[in-house]
Amino acid sequence: MQAVQILINALVLGCLYACIAIGFSLVWGVLNVINLIHGSFIVLGAYLAFGLYHALLLSPWYAVVIAAPLFFVFGYLLQRLLLNRVITAPVLVTLTLTFGLDLILNNAMIYFFTADYRKLILSPPLGSVSLFHVVVPVDRLIATVSALALTGLLYLLLRRSRIGRAIVAVRLDRDAAVLMGVDVKQVYAIAFGLGAALAGCAGVLMALIFPISPLTSSAYLGKAFVVCVLGGLGSVSGALAGGVLLALVEGIGATFVGPSLATTLSFVLLIVFLIARPQGLVGRKGFE
Amino acid sequence: MNRTFFARCTRLLPVLAMSLAAAAPLSRAAAEDVIRFGAPLPITGPLAPEAVKQQQGYNLWAEEANKAGGISVGGKKYKVEIVYVDYQSSTPRAVQATEQMITQDNVNFLFGAFGSGAAKAASTVSEKYKVPTLAATASSVQVYDQGYKYLFGTFTPNDTLTMPLTKIIQVKVPEVKKVAILARNDLFPLAIAQEMEKSAKAAGLEVVYFEKYAIGTIDHSAALSAIKSLSPQWIFITGYINDLLLARKQMVDQEIKAPVVTMIAGPAYQEFIDGGGQSAENITSASWWHPAEHYEGEDIFGSTANFVKLFKAKYGSEPDYGQASAALCGALFQMAIEKAGTLDRDKVRDELAKLDVVTFFGPVRFGPTGQINSLDPPVFQIQGGKPIVHVPRCHQAGRAEGGGELVKRLFRGART
Repeated sequence: MQAVQILINALVLGCLYACIAIGFSLVWGVLNVINLIHGSFIVLGAYLAFGLYHALLLSPWYAVVIAAPLFFVFGYLLQRLLLNRVITAPVLVTLTLTFGLDLILNNAMIYFFTADYRKLILSPPLGSVSLFHVVVPVDRLIATVSALALTGLLYLLLRRSRIGRAIVAVRLDRDAAVLMGVDVKQVYAIAFGLGAALAGCAGVLMALIFPISPLTSSAYLGKAFVVCVLGGLGSVSGALAGGVLLALVEGIGATFVGPSLATTLSFVLLIVFLIARPQGLVGRKGFE
Repeated sequence: MNRTFFARCTRLLPVLAMSLAAAAPLSRAAAEDVIRFGAPLPITGPLAPEAVKQQQGYNLWAEEANKAGGISVGGKKYKVEIVYVDYQSSTPRAVQATEQMITQDNVNFLFGAFGSGAAKAASTVSEKYKVPTLAATASSVQVYDQGYKYLFGTFTPNDTLTMPLTKIIQVKVPEVKKVAILARNDLFPLAIAQEMEKSAKAAGLEVVYFEKYAIGTIDHSAALSAIKSLSPQWIFITGYINDLLLARKQMVDQEIKAPVVTMIAGPAYQEFIDGGGQSAENITSASWWHPAEHYEGEDIFGSTANFVKLFKAKYGSEPDYGQASAALCGALFQMAIEKAGTLDRDKVRDELAKLDVVTFFGPVRFGPTGQINSLDPPVFQIQGGKPIVHVPRCHQAGRAEGGGELVKRLFRGART
């Protein structure tokens, strides 16, 4: 029964990882920008959920509806006003810019919210569901379903909508997309806005599960990075596959070789993938 | 070209004016008689929240000392000035920062870097320059067993936390036979977990699980599932607030129950109690000091109650043991300097070594290695959103009222 519990824990955690990583993957895949503000966006989303719950007793699932447009506009403006200016520069330039922006956002959060850890405690608590001695916390279940829903929505957006096709087109061949009349700067801004919105929504959901502090942003960013490399860049299903694989390795590793080596194992896996399969589990060659 | 040069100079004027304005207090400070205390702290980086707490303790003491006119040295009053240098949560930089403060900032005395690891590393420099150093947050014996003369610390060894805890739990919850220990793989949390393992084994308890988790772990479900399968009666987890809030939440999520759940060092902080909510109830812990203690001291703060009052007035929150220890270090320096009647480092060092006083923090006496050996750290349990302290020594007045009842309640109903 313990094995089933570990497996279920890993699947649920994998969906949380996918939720954390999907926006990061989109931005990296489409814009070729390693968005180092992503972790801080997630933390900011968590603070939004915390603030809305304490000020207006607004549950996090409603907060998602507020967070998505807010973060979209924030991300859109950031790309339009700042990142677009250096988007064609070598990747190190955009990396440095997002690093600087992350420092500003993170320190602003420390200034306004302090570095103290806070926890969103729902009243009454959501509890857990138990089936044949296998226990699953309801908040994780909600986050899992939401992660799957967000993944599905993004997939539909990219496949079925005009702007989604434009994003995919720019991702596949920027120059050809320009020749076809796609406004690349606008597509970049929308893709970055979508990435920020997904990060904000992930933050709202994570507020139910993890303690909130600006100091946790690097942990989220680290997980997003590993998940993207494992799953494949810019691929919607890749984030899900990468998240589940990472969680399985961590969960099984923690059980059989000890929790202290679980993180090491995940980074060993990352190196193996970078050498043997740089395009990730479901990524296409040429987009690694 | 001249116009351009002129324009550049004009633009620089405000910068120059601001620099002069910023430098003015420094020159005023230099004109006064001041004693400079160096405090290397991790003001940025992952340990930044701890640095803020340390600063609060040091600043409160400096403010109180200066309000009283300063430190009296041979009949003359000296103002207190604390020089902070950020070592960015990096131990090698803590060593550099300490050297910089001694050689460039000309500090008279030093406070130790944060935690056992950095304090030990930085102490090599202060020892080399023979600068008396008071470490506010270093508890590991390994910090003090280097044969250093100028290093003193206000935290007792880690086993002084785990031994009394084990004894009390054995008495109050005799059904405890199996212990599971999960430790953050970090200097202090791991050291305290190892002491717990020794204390448990010495008391005849079976340690059924002992594992470390990596710094930055954001999921404990696998470790907790393994613990659940072993059905221990005592679950002991070490880490910092973030780790312990997460572990506690996952324990509740996975319906893991044990008669005794102990966590070190989170529950000593109000943030943990607030963040844990109902799930923080009945968790036991131990720390070096608690605001609920009652000491009448000879130091500048006078009593625990007065220290807590001053702290609350300045910062609007209850002090924790780290903040109190930082303020204590300042108060101890003040006592030693006043007793020495000079700023001579060797004489102040000798007075520190000879100290045998009661302070708002408790009785202070340093052992031959420089580590304090006079404190009985309190063991406490969170009940009704408040830590209920079990004070080991009966002479620590003030806990007598309802004390017996508290002890009876303590550790009972700890099923979580």
